[in-house]
Amino acid sequence: MGVVKGAAIDFDEADAVARARGGDLDAYELLVAHFTAPAHRAAALLGAGADADDVVQEAFVKAYRRLAQYRGDSFRAWLLAIVANEARNLIRSRRRRTGLLARAAVRADPLPLEPDPADTAAASERRRFLVAQLRALDSRDREVLVCRYLLELSEAETATTLGLPRGTVKSRTARALTRLRDRMPMREAPGA
Amino acid sequence: MRDDDELIRELREMGRALRVPPAADQREAVRARLARPVRPPRRVRALVLAAVAALIATVTFVAPARAVVVEVVGDLLRIAGITVRAEPYPGVVPTSPSPLPGARATTLAEARRVAGFPLAVPEELGEPAEVVLADPAPDGSPRVVTMLYRGGEVRFDQFDGELDGGFLKAAPDAEWVNLGSAVPLAVWLPQPHPLTYIGRDGVRRSETTRLAGPSLIWSSARGATYRLEGLRTLEEAMRVARSVQ
Repeated sequence: MGVVKGAAIDFDEADAVARARGGDLDAYELLVAHFTAPAHRAAALLGAGADADDVVQEAFVKAYRRLAQYRGDSFRAWLLAIVANEARNLIRSRRRRTGLLARAAVRADPLPLEPDPADTAAASERRRFLVAQLRALDSRDREVLVCRYLLELSEAETATTLGLPRGTVKSRTARALTRLRDRMPMREAPGA
Repeated sequence: MRDDDELIRELREMGRALRVPPAADQREAVRARLARPVRPPRRVRALVLAAVAALIATVTFVAPARAVVVEVVGDLLRIAGITVRAEPYPGVVPTSPSPLPGARATTLAEARRVAGFPLAVPEELGEPAEVVLADPAPDGSPRVVTMLYRGGEVRFDQFDGELDGGFLKAAPDAEWVNLGSAVPLAVWLPQPHPLTYIGRDGVRRSETTRLAGPSLIWSSARGATYRLEGLRTLEEAMRVARSVQ
């Protein structure tokens, strides 16, 4: 791994946020370094695809300017809410740009990702199918599942990220799971 | 429930197996963007004092003071819902401008009832000769309320300053005015200047462009924007503005 940068060693989130609020760009840089990877992953999985980096950069710039609004529970979830919003804006403008004809194609690709080639053939096949079914879900259903299980956020973090009440996250997750399960084939003989 | 657990496990595994391209290092790019002058939020709330200097070249200012709803961007000055652009008088303005969209005459009492913000009235000018509501929302509440006085020579516009740029003024000169502690900021435009209305949709209504007379524009502490046009001197305009209740 080589040398680990000092920033990663003694990272104190609350302190960095407090100093960044006071206009300390060095402190904010620590936050940027620390949260770029999770923000990028969230952006990619929430549909930004190849534009995930742009979404992340935009989100960090906006987050800095809105630091005063951060209430101090989970910086990650608060940041991801901005990321999710930017990703949605991107998808919307992409859709506008591509116009009606291409719309169907864009709609069909909210998870522009491929399963790991290291998977076994059967697992890979099943996952490919699962990705496809996840893609086909309504975007609201997909978002909760992506947050809860692909990004492995807690219910509370998912609520913050998606700007939903916690109860809604709970009920929507249950509904989305049912809908997804209905789309999946019975699992009688997995890879037999 | 057991089925759900199984599906959840599968989703988690899939999440871990999904390849996301490595993230770009954003530290430099973010820092560079943050170090640049702030692009103000679309809603007019921030104060950008640092940029005031840039404006002095074309616009004369006296004591910027403490403003809450003013922003200066490049050669733009925004006071709540009014944007003043410092540029030379273009010389040509349409001779017969259209009224504001959806304008209709009404009474002061009705205006008070339907406006979505508390209506202010300049006592100094007495009863308005005419009250006009314009650019109504789907629920009928007007975006702009205009009161006309002295046979239409004096015009008092007011609207909710929380809205984005309601009017665009192009003015070669403007001057900060201190209207007292209750008013965050006021600007006096002594010369005739082109005035264009920007609709709710953010679209510039060039057909409304007209030559406006000397105007005093200011905003209340709670964000409403006022525009008083047609008084010859700053002293008189200030007297009227201070009488606004």
